[in-house]
Amino acid sequence: MKRIVLFIIAVFMVLGVTVNTYAQMDQALVYEALRTVLPFEKLEMAGYLKNETSLRMAHGLDEFMKFKNEVNFQANYSIKDNVDFFTTIRWFHDGLYSLEEARYTSIDSKEKNRKLKVPEKMLWLRDCFVDIYTDRLDIRAGKQQVVWGTADGIRILDIINPLDYREWTLPNYSDIRIPLWMLNVEGELLADGHLQLLLIPDYQANYYGPAGGPFTLRTVDVGAKSISSLPPFVTTTTISERPKRNFENTKIGLRWRNVIGAGYAQGLEYTLNYYHGYDFASAAYTSVKIVPGGYFKLTRRAEGIDVFGGTFSKTITSGAFGVPELFKGWTIRGEYAFIKNGAMNYGTDANIEGTVDVDQFNYVLGFDKNFWTNWLFSFQFIQMNAKETEKFDKNQYVLLNGATRGPLGDQETTLSLKISTDFMHERVKPEVLILHTVGSERSDRDWRISPKVSFEVNDRWQIAAGAHIFEGEEQLLSGQFDKNDQVFFETKYSF
Amino acid sequence: MRSKFLMCLLVVCFMFSVNAFCMEFKHHEVYKITDDMGAEEIMGVSTFNKYTKFAYDYESTGYVHLIEQSGSTRQRTFLRRRIILGDKTTKIDYKDVTSFTAPTSVKGLGILSWTYMTYGQDPDQWLWIPSLKKIRKVSAAQGDDSFLGSDFTTEEVTTRKVEDETYKLLRKEKFTGYTSSFNNKTYYKGADCFVIEATPIKSPWYYSKRIVWVDKLTGGDIYEEIFDANGNKYKYIFKEYQIKNVDGRDYSVQTHLEVEDLRSNHKTVIEIKDIKFDQGLKDSDFSERILQRSKW
Repeated sequence: MKRIVLFIIAVFMVLGVTVNTYAQMDQALVYEALRTVLPFEKLEMAGYLKNETSLRMAHGLDEFMKFKNEVNFQANYSIKDNVDFFTTIRWFHDGLYSLEEARYTSIDSKEKNRKLKVPEKMLWLRDCFVDIYTDRLDIRAGKQQVVWGTADGIRILDIINPLDYREWTLPNYSDIRIPLWMLNVEGELLADGHLQLLLIPDYQANYYGPAGGPFTLRTVDVGAKSISSLPPFVTTTTISERPKRNFENTKIGLRWRNVIGAGYAQGLEYTLNYYHGYDFASAAYTSVKIVPGGYFKLTRRAEGIDVFGGTFSKTITSGAFGVPELFKGWTIRGEYAFIKNGAMNYGTDANIEGTVDVDQFNYVLGFDKNFWTNWLFSFQFIQMNAKETEKFDKNQYVLLNGATRGPLGDQETTLSLKISTDFMHERVKPEVLILHTVGSERSDRDWRISPKVSFEVNDRWQIAAGAHIFEGEEQLLSGQFDKNDQVFFETKYSF
Repeated sequence: MRSKFLMCLLVVCFMFSVNAFCMEFKHHEVYKITDDMGAEEIMGVSTFNKYTKFAYDYESTGYVHLIEQSGSTRQRTFLRRRIILGDKTTKIDYKDVTSFTAPTSVKGLGILSWTYMTYGQDPDQWLWIPSLKKIRKVSAAQGDDSFLGSDFTTEEVTTRKVEDETYKLLRKEKFTGYTSSFNNKTYYKGADCFVIEATPIKSPWYYSKRIVWVDKLTGGDIYEEIFDANGNKYKYIFKEYQIKNVDGRDYSVQTHLEVEDLRSNHKTVIEIKDIKFDQGLKDSDFSERILQRSKW
């Protein structure tokens, strides 16, 4: 009940007051201990210990949605002046499934342990790569994340790494991108013009929470319900078709990036991007025969795609259109991606009828500006367009949203606004993110509002509190979590 | 409406006239203050020295101490590299890369800046944000915003130009000395100084005037008192400059800075160490490729 909340808030406040004194006494306790164990001169280390606790707002704050303890360790070993080895290890344990054992009975206990309680397989290894720097060429080989694009909080051209969707997209993308083994080479062709080549033999699909989890996508829950409602005489088979790890299936990424150094467009940065690879959101192909001795077969196939894209960003540093001071201080960003040969399901709400090839054209325009000294307003206009390239009966069926399995419009428009500032010498940092889908009467009601305040107690300790509030119908991106409004608390010790 | 237009015209004309009066400084030259200089020339030399425009490149490590009234302290450490270009074609004055190395909560954060010679033009800035693992083009912080959470404003550290203020030489005097509460050292006692009143062209602005003590020997603005709109002193800044001899040329460089906000009694101390000049840094060392080498 509310005692849980009071207890957490009390712990939180006590931490805020006492850790300051404690950490001033011994700022580098953990770091010094690590230094004793790993006394290598060329080894640089950092990391953190973190607790994340969240509570569902719907039931009077008496239900935990997360009680996650996380340890993160980063190390850089300088092999030579221009050769480094870097690794990040992150491990967590979510005590939610012990605390709320009675509540999450619908999740298979094996799945709880595998996907929700602790990291599965190699997901604990976040970075593991060698860097080689030369005057004109940088090489990074190993497990890593590569981020393309200028958009915040939404993925348009950020397509190199798959995502871990267990907590939807509430954490930072850098925390939920799944690193891949790859070769990343960037060469300098002009003083501010660079060509990047990615060769990615590794493939991982997006990672989804199991049915019944707090932030499991509606498409997973609906799929699980469909299968469980099948008569017992029907055999169920799920097949994941993934590209084999061979040279032929190596994914390729190319990016040309340039900053214009002189003239009217001085400071304009643009990129041209090309990616040839596989979609991380596997397309679902089903075949079913519900008769005695019948079958239900679900094939998840990673479709080959080609992506052509680009970005630009420009800050108005003195004025626009020849008028001094006009729009001065605004940063304008843009990003687009044309995705060829993707696949989507079609059908009716929650029911898959079939799968068709689609082309997608997605873009974002962003506008950022500081007002009143240090209030940053960041606004984004995002549009996603999907057009099928194969025929299906559009009188009966519609394309389905991959995350919710709800009807997908030809064009989906989302607006986002992030406002952030700081007080007390950047000690207190409040921010709020608002995401709103527009375009139809139904989608106009789709919202997410995420306020957060973080407080830097001292150089080692940080605490934060905030909320995620969702509103909308379950077929829509935010609305699917309408019952998941939550408050959260974070405590972090860095070393 | 018409009067507003005329006012704007007058302000623009005034800004151009201020520009026209300014002494022409050539990048990579060393300038010294002489007794016959006027207030604007003295501040011109001081500003030129502040941004190390006499050098070809510059590198240093900064240790920032943010000190509360209670004595509780937070720290930041950053590595700064700068290439001074003074390029008349691109109008790029200099390029900076600042990378934070401590504490862990900001470790890896990097800022690439292109600062322009053109008066009124903001810098172009790119930010490497470790929590996003990507580079973001960002609008330059507003001049009155706090610089990295310190008691300095952005304008005081990075963006103020000579053309932003008008100057009046008040007197020449021997400086009474500044005793630091951070290290108990007394600086510049008896140093020959020019005392200059600086008034911002922008009005209203976050300060109404500054009284600046410029050291004759180093050409540095070693001490200043800052006044609010009501004429009350609300902040002071102290800067220690040292002369470093590089290939026979005397470079004047900041080595220790202190600022205190007298309203909140919050202090910031920046120690600048490991200073290196003219190492042969290249323009390409100040690109996004270098910024994204940060792994943290």
